[in-house]
Order: sequence, then structure tokens, then C-alpha cells
Amino acid sequence: MMLYVEGLVAGYPSGGRILDGVSFDLKEGEVVALLGRNGMGKTTLMRALCGQLPLQAGTIRCGGQSLGGQPTFQFARAGIGYVPQGREIFANFTVEENLMLGALGKPSLPRSLPAETFEIFPILGERRAQRAGTLSGGQQQQLAIMRALVGQPRLLLLDEPSEGIQPSIVDEIAVTLGRIARERGLTVLIVEQNLDFVEQLASRILFMENGRIAARQAEVGELRSDSDLIHRFLSI
Amino acid sequence: MATAIALSIDMLSFTLTLLLVTLGLVVIFGMMNVINMAHGEFFLIGAYAVVAVTRAGGSFWLGLVLAPCLLALIGFAVEWLVIRHIYRRFIDTILATWGLSLALKQGVILLFGPGSQSMLNPIPGTVEVLGVSYPAYRLFIMGMGLALALGTYWLFFRTALGLQARGVIANRAMAASLGINTRRMDWATFATGAALAGFAGAVMSPIMSVDPQMGMGFLVPSFLAVLVGGVNSLVGAALGSGVIGGTTTMLSARLDQADAQIVVFLLAIMVIRFFPQGLTGDRR
Repeated sequence: MMLYVEGLVAGYPSGGRILDGVSFDLKEGEVVALLGRNGMGKTTLMRALCGQLPLQAGTIRCGGQSLGGQPTFQFARAGIGYVPQGREIFANFTVEENLMLGALGKPSLPRSLPAETFEIFPILGERRAQRAGTLSGGQQQQLAIMRALVGQPRLLLLDEPSEGIQPSIVDEIAVTLGRIARERGLTVLIVEQNLDFVEQLASRILFMENGRIAARQAEVGELRSDSDLIHRFLSI
Repeated sequence: MATAIALSIDMLSFTLTLLLVTLGLVVIFGMMNVINMAHGEFFLIGAYAVVAVTRAGGSFWLGLVLAPCLLALIGFAVEWLVIRHIYRRFIDTILATWGLSLALKQGVILLFGPGSQSMLNPIPGTVEVLGVSYPAYRLFIMGMGLALALGTYWLFFRTALGLQARGVIANRAMAASLGINTRRMDWATFATGAALAGFAGAVMSPIMSVDPQMGMGFLVPSFLAVLVGGVNSLVGAALGSGVIGGTTTMLSARLDQADAQIVVFLLAIMVIRFFPQGLTGDRR
């Protein structure tokens, strides 16, 4: 089991309990999508899973290591890589500095970028000395993903990776991520609205409803055929 | 001609001296965004550390090495006990560090008395520079200002540690999610700023009256230099020190000290009015 989550309760000081007993697990090497309407707590769950939001109750275990109550950087060192909504790259730093920060946070890794860093998304190699804030949205997304990958995560959390990005780059990102996940045996959890993207990458679908994971899960093939699913969880 | 050269050297001297004193502030105020009202006291303790070491029979140079080490420890303690609880609370930071400054100043008075101490000049004599004879120790201070500015730039912009510190300052949550121990970066950065202030105080001790008020004299022009040059910018601090230091020296040659100060403050206010981000904007 790569990720085990049970009875997770978390929220913001002002907003009360947004996560109200989340339980699910991810097997090693599995690529899973988390879908749900806006405001159901998907991003809050991602932030709790990467340690940015303290737990009020419940358990998070990554690769057998219990992470409840730990500071954020320990979540990262336990192998959880996070690509947040809105990307959160360091806009004033160069592309290369952004990527280096992905490596420097892990004491077990060498303090240099692995050779294939600039091969996975070649545009990052061309722009390595450029300020990250000058990149296009799609390039920034590639940078945010690569920054997480440089840290050699075992579990990658992606929050809306296709948001605001032109379709050709979305496609490139989906293909590349799928290949890396297979090659490295990476476990991936994706929050995403773009169903094409989900179908390209994920095998299993979880749905979020009112701060919990719904009992009803789905295989990726059912998404298009089962209109009840779409209706109930995706508000179309 | 000789007066022009002398004036130029004076301007450069004050600029580099101001830069030396400002560096600690650039780190703590400019980079970390902490308004540390006790910064002048860090400077002060640096100077008194040299006094204490020489009184105990040590050399000035030993004091110069020990002062920043002592201030790094004090900076660490202050960050741990006070600052870390109030990073997000601007007004509280001003109050807490102001209280701290009073306590530190009174502590110095208890230990050393309210009077002024004087230090012997460790490099007496003058050196001929472009036909003008100039005090050797002033040249040493200028060299130290330049070296330390370059060293600080190197530390924050050319090393892995500096990159992590800047990453934490730029986006704390994201830096932590990359595995960076943000708490360690906080205290390390604060201690570095305190050590720089302490070193500046130690270097300045032979040419200033070492008394409990000495921190104030440089604190105001230092804050101005940071604001004029651009907060969060080392190049800006250098530029700001040049503007403040240069004009002060130039005007002091014509006007009396107090009038020169008033003109410099007005000038600084004008710059900040028209360049709210400082002369360098938000660049390095």
C-alpha cells in the first residue's frame, strides 16, 4: 500500500471542517483520479495529503510511515511530491533554480539535477536560465511537475494540471506523465476536471462528495458510459 | 583637484561603511520582511563584544572574529524566543523587537555602564591614495564593506543554502512541500543577519564612540538605504547606500551636519514617493 488514509478531518481556521472523515487508499504504481464538483474539498484534501494543512483527526500513512502531526517537509521527505493548483512556481527564480529546489529539499539526493531533467520536458532545457515567471502557463506547469519529479517522489499529487493550459501541451503532459509513472512505478493521484486528461492517465476513479470519498468508485471506462456518475458527481 | 579626490574618497568611504552596516538589515528587513527594532542593538553588542575581548586581554582582531559569532547565537535565540511567534504579525513585531531593544540596551548599560568606551585604532597611520593621505583604518572598513557585500551576495545567490533560504522567503508552503526545513532556514537567515550587524558594529568600534546610543546613528540611514534601493534587493542596498551615503557626504561639505541630514531625508522621501518599490524595483 503506497498511501493509506483513514478518517481524515481537516479544514481552515475560519471555514470549519471541510474534510469530514476521508478514507481511501492507493496501491503502489496506481494512477487514480479524484473527481467531484467544485467546493467538495478536493484541493483541501490535496493540501492535507502533502502536509500543508494540519490534520484535526485521522491517519495518513505513506509507504507505511505515519505522517500525522509531522511538519510539511517531512511529508515531502516521506516521498510525497506535490504539484499544486496554480502551479506555485518561484516566479523570480530561474527555471534551473526552481528545479534545484526540488532536489535540495531531499538530503538523500545529490545536490545537482539528474541528467534526464531537461530531456523529459525539453522546453525547460531551452529556458533554463530564464526567469520562471516569464514562461507560458503550460511551460510553468511542466516546470512545476518536473520540480516535483526531481525530488524522486513515490507518490505524486497533481491538482488540476490542465487548468488554463492550451490543449496541445495538456496532451504532451498527459503522455509524458503516463510514461514516467509506468517507468518509475510512480503512484499518482490527480484532481482534474478535464475528462480527456483523466481517461489518458488514470485507471481508477474516486469521487468526492461533501468532504468524503463516495462509496461508489469507478473504472475509467465507465465515465462516458454511465451518465448517472457524471450527473451525480460532476454536475453536468 | 585634491579636494575633489578627497571628497570622492569620503563619499565612497561613507557609502561602503553604510553598506557594511546595512547588510544585516537587508537580510532581516529586506529579505525576511521582519522590522527588527533591535537591529541597532545587534550592532551595539558587536562593538561591545570587541571592547570586552580587548579588556580581557585579547586582541582587536580576535574580537572582530568573535563578535559575529556571538551575534549569530543571539540572533538564533531571539528568533527562537520571539520572532518565530510573530512572523505574520507586523505591528506585534515592531512592538516586541522594540521591547527587546530596550532590554538589550539596558543589559549593556548594566554590564559596561552608561559612559562611552574608546577603542584603540588597530591600524594607525595613513595611506597615500591618489595623492591624498587617507586613514588606513578607513580604507580597511571600505574593503570590509565591499568584501562582505560580495560575500553576502555569494551566500544568498550562488549557494544551495542561499537558494533554499530565498525559496522559503518567496513561498514558504511550497518550499516546505519540496522537503525544505523551513524553520531551520528561518533561524539560519535571521542569525546570519544578526551576525552581519554584529560584525559591522565590531568593525566600526575603533572609529566611533562606543556607547549605548551608538546603534541609533546608523539605524536610520540604513533603513533609508534599504527603502531607497529597493527592499528584497542586495544590489538595491548597495545603490541605496550610495545615494544616501554619497549625498550626505557631499552636502556635509557645504552645509552643517543637521541641515545635510534634513536634505537627505527629504531626498529619500521623494525617491520613495516616486519609486515605491525602490530604485531597483523588485530585482536582485
